[in-house]
Amino acid sequence: MTETLLAQGLQLVEGKFVSQTAPESNRIDLVIEPAQLTACAGALAAAHWGYLSAITGLDHGMESGKLEALYHFCNRAAVITLRVPLPRENPVVPSVCGLIPSATLFERELMEMFGVVCEGTPDSRRLFLPDDWPDGKYPLRKDFLVPAPAPEPEA
Amino acid sequence: MTSVSKEKFVIPIGPQHPALKEPAHFEFTVDGETVTAASVRFGYVHRGIEKGAENRNWTQAMYLLERICGICSHAHSTVYALGVEKLAGVPAPPRAQGIRQILLELERLHSHMLWVGVAAHEAGFETLFMYSWRDRETVMDILESFSGNRVNYSANLLGGVKYDLGPAQADSIRRGLDFLEERLHYYMKIVTTDESFQRRTRGVGTMTTNEAETLGAIGPVARASNVARDLRVDAPYLLYDQFPVTIVLASEGDLQARFVVRIQELFESVRMIRNLLSGLPEGELTARFPRKIPAGETIARIEAPRGGLFYFIKSDGGENPARVKVRTPSLRNFMSVLVGSVGHQLADVPMILSGIDPCFSCNDRMITVRRRA
Repeated sequence: MTETLLAQGLQLVEGKFVSQTAPESNRIDLVIEPAQLTACAGALAAAHWGYLSAITGLDHGMESGKLEALYHFCNRAAVITLRVPLPRENPVVPSVCGLIPSATLFERELMEMFGVVCEGTPDSRRLFLPDDWPDGKYPLRKDFLVPAPAPEPEA
Repeated sequence: MTSVSKEKFVIPIGPQHPALKEPAHFEFTVDGETVTAASVRFGYVHRGIEKGAENRNWTQAMYLLERICGICSHAHSTVYALGVEKLAGVPAPPRAQGIRQILLELERLHSHMLWVGVAAHEAGFETLFMYSWRDRETVMDILESFSGNRVNYSANLLGGVKYDLGPAQADSIRRGLDFLEERLHYYMKIVTTDESFQRRTRGVGTMTTNEAETLGAIGPVARASNVARDLRVDAPYLLYDQFPVTIVLASEGDLQARFVVRIQELFESVRMIRNLLSGLPEGELTARFPRKIPAGETIARIEAPRGGLFYFIKSDGGENPARVKVRTPSLRNFMSVLVGSVGHQLADVPMILSGIDPCFSCNDRMITVRRRA
C-alpha cells in the first residue's frame, strides 16, 4: 500500500526534481530547486495525493550558509518531502498558496521564524511573534540565542 | 444619495475567543451577515518550545514538549518518544507500548468529553455541558490514580514507561469504562434526538468530502466529512495493529456529524482499552536508552484526539535535538475552518470554530517569552 502510494506520488513529479533519497521505508525525500516548487507541489495537490501536512524550516548553521524548507505531503502512511535548499542570505521560495490556499498559516510561520520570503503569499503578517518583535530577527535560526530570563522582580 | 461604499467591513474577534476561554485574534470580513474572508493571529500563549527543545537534552526535551498541551500531553510525549526511539534504533518493550496506548485512548476519552461540554455550552445546552464535565472526572480520576497527575502524566521515558498497570488498577479502569459507556449512550441520544440541539448543529458549518480533502482537514473533522484519515488505522504505531480500532465516518460533514463521530469514536476507544487491558503483553517496562542519539532525521506521527500530530525530529549525533518541528492538528484544522467559514453566517462562526475543537496552546509554542523588565 505505502510502496504503491509512494510510486504514484513519484510518478506525478517525474522530471521535476534534482535528486531523491528514501530515508525511511514510508518516506521519499526529493531535493528540488526553488523554481521547481510550484510544479512539484502543484502536481501532488492537483492529483489529490494526500495533503500538505507541514512545512518545516531547517537551519544548517552559519558555517554551511544554508537553510532548507521542507514541504511534507502525507498520504496515509506515506510521506513525500520536497526539500528546497536555500542560501541563508536572501532565501526566497515561491508561495504555494495559489495551489494550496490553506498553506498560508504554514508560510507565515516559515517567514517569521526563519526569514524565508514566500514570494506572492497572500498574507505576510506575523502569525505567532509579538507585534513589537524586531525586524530581521528570526528566532528559529541557529544564530538566534535565547536571551537569559530577566531576574524576577522583587516581591 | 451617496454612492454605495466599496470598503470592506472587518469584524475583529478576540484575542478573547468567542467559543473557548483561550486567546486568538480573528478578522472576519463580512458582506452583511455573510463571511467573505477570514484571517487569524496567534501567539498570545506562545512559549518558544521548539527553540527551547534545542537547548535541552533528549530527555529534558520530552518533558518540555509534553507541556505543549494540557489536554493531549501524553500524545505529545508519546509521538516524540516514538520518533527518538526510531532514531536511536531502540524501541520500547511491548508492555510499555501497550500502556502508552491505553493512556492515549484514556486521553482521547477525556479530551472528547471536554469538547462535548464546550460545544454544548456554545449551543446553549448548559445541562449537557455540566453532565459531560462531571462524567469526565471519572477519566481524570483514573489518570490520577495511575500517574499521580490529572494532566501531564509524565508516564513516558525514552525507551519505555515509568508506571506499570496492575490487576487492581485494571479493574478500576474497567469499572470507570462501564460507567462512561452508559453515559456515552445518553450523549448520543441527546445529540441525535434533541430538537433544539439539532437546530444549532444540523447543516451548520458543513464541509463536503471534497472540501475536507482539499483543505487538508484531519481528525474527527475530516472523518465527519467522510474523509478516511486516521493514523491509528492508516499507519499503525504502538500496538494498534494487534489491538485495532475501527475508523468512524459520517457523510453529512456538519457540526452534528462532528458530535456523532467523536462520541462514536469513544465507544471504539472503550472497546479497545478493554481488549488491551486483558491482552496486555507481559515483560519489561523499559529498554536501555543511549544519551546521544545517532545523526539522522525522522518523522513521527500519531492520531491525537484532534487529528494527526506531526513531529519532524533531527539529530546531529549529540545530546540535544538539532531540531524538533511540531505541527499540531489544530493548526492544520484552523486552515480548513478559515477557508471553510467563507460564505457562512457570522452568527454560526463561534459554533464552526468550536467544531474543530481548537487548541490554542498547541498552536502557540515556539518563541521565547520575554518577561517584563
